[in-house]
Amino acid sequence: MKCEQLRERMPDVAAGLSEATAAESSHLASCISCAEQFKAMQETMALLDEWQVPEPSPYFDVRLQARLREEMAKPQAGWAMRWFRQPVIAAALTVIIGIGVGLFFSQGPRIHNSQPMLAQNADPGSAVGDLQTLDNNHDLYANFDLLDDMDLQQDVTANP
Amino acid sequence: MGASSSPAPGVFSPMLTDGSVSDAEIMLRVKTGDQSAFEYLVQKYRRPIVSFMYRMARNAAAAEDLAQEVFLRVYRSRESYEATAKFTTWLYRIATNLAVNHARDTRHERPEVQVSLDEPDEDTGTTLEVPDSSLNAEQAIVRRERMMAIRQKVEALPEQQRLAVIMHKYQQMDYKQISEVLKKSESATKSLLFRAYETLREQLKEFV
Ligand SMILES: [Zn+2]
Repeated sequence: MKCEQLRERMPDVAAGLSEATAAESSHLASCISCAEQFKAMQETMALLDEWQVPEPSPYFDVRLQARLREEMAKPQAGWAMRWFRQPVIAAALTVIIGIGVGLFFSQGPRIHNSQPMLAQNADPGSAVGDLQTLDNNHDLYANFDLLDDMDLQQDVTANP
Repeated sequence: MGASSSPAPGVFSPMLTDGSVSDAEIMLRVKTGDQSAFEYLVQKYRRPIVSFMYRMARNAAAAEDLAQEVFLRVYRSRESYEATAKFTTWLYRIATNLAVNHARDTRHERPEVQVSLDEPDEDTGTTLEVPDSSLNAEQAIVRRERMMAIRQKVEALPEQQRLAVIMHKYQQMDYKQISEVLKKSESATKSLLFRAYETLREQLKEFV
């Protein structure tokens, strides 16, 4: 056995993670240089043993459980999936899509005239129309946020 | 399962009586939504991960916070977990990334080397060692100084050497495991460890 081979193994053997093989033991018995190095490493290992750290504090487990509960209460899927899985939101989307379709057909001048309420909407595609769309979408998102919050509350109470 | 060996409440009992089930398989159960499997992994690894973080972080409060974060990340990553590597390799990769980022973020802060070993830590109420009534005041001071020196010398090692030493010496991980966590070859890990221990031997020789 070469000194180099033994030195590679030294940290594991000196740390007690591995037993020295017969070949390694006989090399240590005959090679003064390796034997000295091994002894020094064992001493270093023993010294390093003095660095002790405390057990996890009781606070650790309490805090971990609280953080995990919070994590587990979070809905798993992305927002898009959640929207479509919620019956309330699905119904809301149906209504919104319905209104959208209604708006689409209201664009022609004939229907436009026959439905004065919708006539207050600016033409889609115009700057005013875009702003109105943005505004409507903002309300929509705000409502979904609200529903999400309610959703979360239900999850929290369901998984105490 | 015999009634004689009733497991502690909250412990994932089927796994404990069946030694053939690997942690990777248990993690796959977590992936399918088995929360008791996750609870089992937390119970099994909380002490090693906390002790790892105590040696990597600058103070006790940060250490426990980081250890909690490890388990939260394990839970969050459950859906993407693949049993390609050993569970502990994956676990220590998460822990290592967190610890290294923490060390980089706080490198300008003064390390908590002046912490008292006898008085409870302000943040956690813990002491840094088990009080040893067999030591007199003078011996206790000497012991504290030695421990501080060891901590400082390990902290002063280059990042990869420090990680390797902490995993090898204090987490009892072998070369192969450490090389997998650090994504290095086994021979590179061996020389990393050898150099680290040589440096520590040189720097700590006054205490031997
Ligand atoms: Zn030799």
